[in-house]
Formats: sequence, structure tokens, C-alpha cells
Amino acid sequence: MKVRKLIAVAAAAITAIGVAGCSVDHSKSEAGKPTLRLGYQTFPSGDLIVKNNRWLEDALPDYNIKWVKFDSGADVNTAFIAKELDFGSLGSSPVARGLSAPLNIPYSVAFVLDVAGDNEALVARNGSGINSIADLKGKRVATPFASTAHYSLLAALSQNGLSPSDVQLIDLQPQAILAAWDRGDIAAAYTWLPTLDQLRKTGKDLITSRQLAKDGKPTLDLSAVSNSFAKDHPEVVDVWRKQQARALTVIHSDPAAAAKAIAAEIGLSPADVEGQLKQGVYLTPQEVASPQWLGSQGNPGNIAVNLQSASQFLADQKQIPTAAPLKTFTDAIYTQGLPGAITQ
Amino acid sequence: MSVFVDVAPAGATRPTGTRWPAWLARVVLPLLSLLVFFIVWQLAAASGIWNQTFVPYPSTVWRAFIDVSTTHDGVRGYAGYLLWEHLYMTLRRVFAGVVIGVAGGLLLGLLMGSIPWVRSVLEPWLTFLRALPPLAYFFLLVIWLGIDEAPKVTLLALAALPPAAVATTAAVVAVPVSLVEAARALGATRRDVVRDIVIPSALPETFTGIRLAVGMAYSSVVAAELFNGIPGIGGLVKDASNYNNTPVVLVGIFAIGISGLVIDGLLRSVERRAVPWRGKV
Repeated sequence: MKVRKLIAVAAAAITAIGVAGCSVDHSKSEAGKPTLRLGYQTFPSGDLIVKNNRWLEDALPDYNIKWVKFDSGADVNTAFIAKELDFGSLGSSPVARGLSAPLNIPYSVAFVLDVAGDNEALVARNGSGINSIADLKGKRVATPFASTAHYSLLAALSQNGLSPSDVQLIDLQPQAILAAWDRGDIAAAYTWLPTLDQLRKTGKDLITSRQLAKDGKPTLDLSAVSNSFAKDHPEVVDVWRKQQARALTVIHSDPAAAAKAIAAEIGLSPADVEGQLKQGVYLTPQEVASPQWLGSQGNPGNIAVNLQSASQFLADQKQIPTAAPLKTFTDAIYTQGLPGAITQ
Repeated sequence: MSVFVDVAPAGATRPTGTRWPAWLARVVLPLLSLLVFFIVWQLAAASGIWNQTFVPYPSTVWRAFIDVSTTHDGVRGYAGYLLWEHLYMTLRRVFAGVVIGVAGGLLLGLLMGSIPWVRSVLEPWLTFLRALPPLAYFFLLVIWLGIDEAPKVTLLALAALPPAAVATTAAVVAVPVSLVEAARALGATRRDVVRDIVIPSALPETFTGIRLAVGMAYSSVVAAELFNGIPGIGGLVKDASNYNNTPVVLVGIFAIGISGLVIDGLLRSVERRAVPWRGKV
């Protein structure tokens, strides 16, 4: 008797959890319509503008639009491997890893969300006696490992003739960097906004990602589309690119509106977001389709070279067995209909 | 790490007729389950239903194990440290954390078990601490204690303290009143009672608490090594998963699991030696 009662209670509890689980999901999904699954992250980008203004919902009324939030590029890669995503946003480092063996994720780079500028930088703490990157030798430098900042830090070190073992690299997430910084546990850190602005109050920039991009080591935030989806629904990819291009245009023409939409998504004040947008590099749609980045149909742009160099970096870090050849990356740039598809 | 509690009194003599099956159950069955596990794993990987990132071949994981354990192509293990060095650092942290946590827990438990008002004061705090996932407060430890060994050891100590304290309290409370009264009637002082009655009869239960405490600490290593965790097995698992490097993640998980089994086995043999009277009083 008792066991039966227990089972009944357990069943009721499970049902209740199931019902409750549905009730907190605000995305309205209608049966009978295919679902478009987009993975996004909370760095300020056109993604958040498109999401906040519900542009995709308006442009694709025949689809259920499902936005899924991710905390890192590794998680986005995992979701692509599990075939849970049609589109996903992630940094150039995770993309390079996803396209290289052993992952070999069947996705293509379809858009450049932003290029890291002054929003990612290497900062030295005042009083640590560090005035140049060369001074970092033997000092403790923190960065979130496996991130674009990690890549940029090692690129900056090698520019100055330092190998990773010449400094004490420490794996810390941004909020922990701030804590360690305040306590004086670290001499320098490579991280991003908003933590970066707080570090700058008691430190100075040694190099920013804007400078590294000029030196040929850019880090980017990209959007990838799954190859099978792009093959079956090129028209949806076109609509999606148009919305992304529209978001980039808004960032340039009406930064206040862009900041407001992004602020609503990530819980910062619009003023803070506007400051962050100023420090990042947001390309115009024309630039995205230029040879320097995605290129045009039949002529994949220079971004393939950037990705190949990121892949080489991962191989040097022993995180992948060998770097993938350049062809892997030129083949993985989605240039269908470019530049017209996004500039008109 | 799970804790198995000996139900049968250890070392109890069994009828000679059951010797073979007991041996069979002890050695062959675990090996058999291991074998079945590897066969199922190999089949799952070979079936191709899942991507290699989710289910790599056992041989891939073995190769990762060799790579992490040796210096090859001028690269030392993983992130510059060999597997045993990662494991050593983690074990050192766990050991320090457990010693501090269990010592504190035993003391608290003894106090809470023998003095009712202390128990009323401290019990809510212990329950509060026990309900917190380490990740929830680890960031505070980083702010207060920095990024080196201190926050990691503190986290492990905080994980180990409640089980030890709760088990000791329960054990002390459960000391048979008849024994205490008998000793008092024979003229024992309060100190004698604690030394000769309370501690010996509470010890078996306390040992279970210690094993639970070690288990709790061990299951918190990945959380403890979330920041600046290399060298360390938890840091290795976290770093490799950031790169979707599943074989290395599995190597780390096996290292944690197997060393956990070994530690629990050691604790159990210590327990058998230290409290042979378990189940007999």
C-alpha cells in the first residue's frame, strides 16, 4: 500500500515538474512548423539585436524560432556535433577547432559578428613594474584558457619573443581575474569587457586585440551554419544573413538603438553597452563580404587564413593532433550569393 | 566516490562450503563487469551512432592516457605536467582538506553529541553548509583567499566537515545509556566515560562518516580546481573539456574514479584494523 502511494506521489511530482518546465519557456512554438535553432552567446553583437527585435520571427513566419544561450564556444561546438543547432555563434578559436580533426564539424562560417578591438586587451597592474610585454617574463598572467583572449595573449607573447613557458600562465575566468587582480595575485591579465574596464582603472593596456588584428592575428566572433541546413534551406540562410547585416547597419547608424536592444538581452545599462560597442570593431556588410573577411562567391576571403593560423595555434598547444590545411577552411566559408546577398 | 558500508561483520568466519562462491563473487564478478563494460563501450563506439567526440574508442582513450603520462615529441604530459603529477597535486589538496575538515568535524561532532545546547546552536549552520553546492561559494573563497592553494583546500575542507560532524554527533548520541550508567556505577569519572565508553562505541560510526567525508571532498575536486587548477586532475578535466578533448576528459575521470576506489579501499582496511569491534557491541 505504502509503495503504491509513494509511486503515485512520485508520478505526480514528475508530472508537475514537466508542466512547470513548459510554463517557464517563453518561446511560442507551434506544432506543424519547422523549428529554426540558433545558439547565441552574450557578448554584444548583432545576434542580440536580431533576437531582441524579433526580426527573424517577422522575416520567417513559417518557422518556429528557438534561441538557445551558450556560455562558451566549446558548448556551441558540442551542440553542433549533437545536431541540435542550425546556426550558432562562437569565437574564431572554437571554429578553428571545430573544423579541424578530430571534430570535423560539418558547419560553415556564414557571418562575421565582430572583430575584437579595444574590448579585449592585455592589461598590466599599476605598481607591478611592468611597462612592456617583454617585462612579463616570469610574472603571473591570467586569462580564460581556450578563449580568444588566450589566443591573443600567446600571439602577443610570441611577437615579443616570449614563449608560453616564459611567463606563469594562469587559467581564470573574468570575474576571478578581477578578484585576483584586486588582491595583487596577478601582474597582468588578458580579458574582455566589462571586467576589462575595471582592470583599466588600476592598470594600463600593454596591447589590445585591435593592434593584434592589424598585425595579422585577429580574433573574431563568427556565426556558423550547419552544412546540411544550408544545403536544404539556402533561402533561410539568405533571410538570416539579411537580418544580421541589418543589425550591423543599426550598430553603425543608430548605436543608441543597438545598445538598447543588446542591453535588454544581457542585463547591462544601455550606456555601458554603448561604450562596449565603441571599443569593438563592427564591420559594415560591405566589409564582411570583402576579400579581407568572408570574400565573395567563388572567392573565399582571408578569414580562412586567420582560421588556419588559429588551427596551427591549437596544434602548437597540443589541443589537436595537427593543424588542418588551408583548403579545409576555404571550403568552410559560406560565400553563396556574396556580396549581393548581404549588401543589398 | 561512493561509500559501501560493510553489512556483514568483517572477518566473520564463514562456513567452509561457501568459500569458492565467495571468492568467485569477490574477484571474478568485478572483473566480469569490467569486461562487459569495455565490450559495450567498444560496440557503442564502433556502431557509429554517436560522434567520436561523445563516445571515443577505448583505444583512443588509452592513447590519450599514454600521451598524458609520458613525454612525447618534446611535450610533457598535459599542459606541461604528467598525469601522476596532476594526480599528486589533487591528492595533496584532498588530503590537506580532508585532514582539516575531518578534524574539525570530529571535534564538532563530539561537542554536539555530548552537549545538547551546542548541538542546537550549531546544527542549523551545518545543515546550511551541507546544502550548499561548492560552486555556489567557491567564487567568494577566491575573493577572500586568492587563487592559490588556500581556496582549494578550504573548499575541500568545507565539503568534508559536515559528513564527519553529522556522523560523529549521531554516533555519540547513540552510545548505549546502559553502558554509561554501568561505568558510572562502577566509579568511572566523566573523563573515563568519554575515553572508555563514548569514543570506542562511537568510533565505528565515525569511520563511516570519515569515508563519507573523503567521498564528498573527492567529488568536489573539479569544482575546487575550476580556477587555476593546473596541475590538478580537476583542472585537467575542465581544461580538456573546454577544447572538446573528450579522450583526455575520460582519462581524467578514470583517474579520479580509480584513485577514489583505491582510497576507499585503504580507508576500509584501516577501519577493519582500527575498530575490529564494529558490529559486536
